[in-house]
Amino acid sequence: MLRLRVTLQEDLDLLEASLQEEGELVRRALRGALNALEQQDAELADEVIAFDDQVDACYFRIETGIQSLLARQAPAAVDLRLVLAILHVNLHLERMADYCVTVAKLTKLVAGAPADPTLVEAFEEMGSRAEEMIRVALDSFAARDVDRAESLVELDELIDRANRRAVKQVIALGDDDEQREWGLRMLLVSRCLERIGDHAVDIGEQTAFLVTGEFREFTDASH
Amino acid sequence: MATSASREQVETQQTATPTTASGPTAIEVSELNLYYGSFLAVADVNMSIERNKATALIGASGCGKSTFLRSLNRMHELVPGARAEGTIALDGEDVYSPTVDPVAVRRRVGMVFQAPNPFPTMSIYDNVAAGLKLNSRRIKKADLDVIVERSLRGANLWDEVKDRLDKPGSGLSGGQQQRLCIARATAIEPEVLLMDEPASALDPISTLAIEDLVQELKREYTIVIVTHNMQQASRASDITGFFNIEAAGQPGRLVEMDTTEKIFTNPSNKATEDYVSGRFG
Repeated sequence: MLRLRVTLQEDLDLLEASLQEEGELVRRALRGALNALEQQDAELADEVIAFDDQVDACYFRIETGIQSLLARQAPAAVDLRLVLAILHVNLHLERMADYCVTVAKLTKLVAGAPADPTLVEAFEEMGSRAEEMIRVALDSFAARDVDRAESLVELDELIDRANRRAVKQVIALGDDDEQREWGLRMLLVSRCLERIGDHAVDIGEQTAFLVTGEFREFTDASH
Repeated sequence: MATSASREQVETQQTATPTTASGPTAIEVSELNLYYGSFLAVADVNMSIERNKATALIGASGCGKSTFLRSLNRMHELVPGARAEGTIALDGEDVYSPTVDPVAVRRRVGMVFQAPNPFPTMSIYDNVAAGLKLNSRRIKKADLDVIVERSLRGANLWDEVKDRLDKPGSGLSGGQQQRLCIARATAIEPEVLLMDEPASALDPISTLAIEDLVQELKREYTIVIVTHNMQQASRASDITGFFNIEAAGQPGRLVEMDTTEKIFTNPSNKATEDYVSGRFG
């Protein structure tokens, strides 16, 4: 069969490659934010904040590429679904990176405050799961693997549970003002990690849309 | 209309073709086979064409979509050796019934062609009135004036030509000529309007004017439009049918028919997806 629309395919391949690159940048940002938190390293936190510019540059490159492709190539059917899915995934990744920045900023705010080692360890575990979810989300997108994308729901449940445990642990921190302030800021960290998990699930939903042509939430809002 | 033995041979080669209809049906096509001599050009089409909707027929050159279109008002049989098998029911009546006059069918199912073809020596007015006169209707001049104006307004041409109705239609631009042909076709108040690539010879602005006109015309008429321009199909139609041939020498078949939105976002058939995404080759 004659190979047609070579330019369109090249543009789509480029956008997908950029999306994977953006995902890798987000994973690096998340790892940096987690390390800065664990080690109470304000300098590393600053690097994570500055690193967001690289994620943003990738985000804008993809956004511009989509704009150009829509204007010039008029994709249809599965090509159109791919472009729409990339548009969404791009936004989800950029939001994830923003949460990493928030974690880094919170780390700077509590620098020197007494940290609870149990909670810090819990955040490391939550963060590692979030890292894994980003990888699963992008791998299943690249492989058009809906079953694997749906497995993100179970991974997300683990993060959600850890987030709920974190609330209880902060309440149990006691009456020391400094530690309570640390605890309240750490609740926001927990929330950021939990939201990164949610965005990974959203990426999984885009994989399902790409493959099936029908958008559906993997879980309802009460979940 | 009788079926022939050759139909059974064809039926063994393919699965049933799809139909779609959610609203009232204007034309019901059943088990339609179209021949040029012994060559089977279009095979086993089943299709419901919805009333007051624009239905686009798309497919590569030679897939039989224009042949199919011309069968809907019995123009296919004007080609020597051409014939049809199956039924095409317009409001429940088979247009190929021996008791049906082909001319009467063409009055109910009008047609607009690829290249604008106004009668060159006739005035704009007479071009529009021609269909009425040719159909031998005795009609008063005042009534004819009303119909001509209404038809030209319906074709979005009145304001551009109202001061030169006595001038030749051939003096209009290509886009205006095509709208004149649409006015001529609608003057006799058909139920269905067939359009065979009506904008393929026009510039982009005139093309968009025709597409806008389709949206207005479908309030009054059922529109079936053949187009090679997939963006035109996606812009101008409510329903899209995709015709395809498996290989050279094979008959064209209706592969998939659905809402235009479905066909251009998530078609059910791989061949349709390859075609609308431009991967067909």
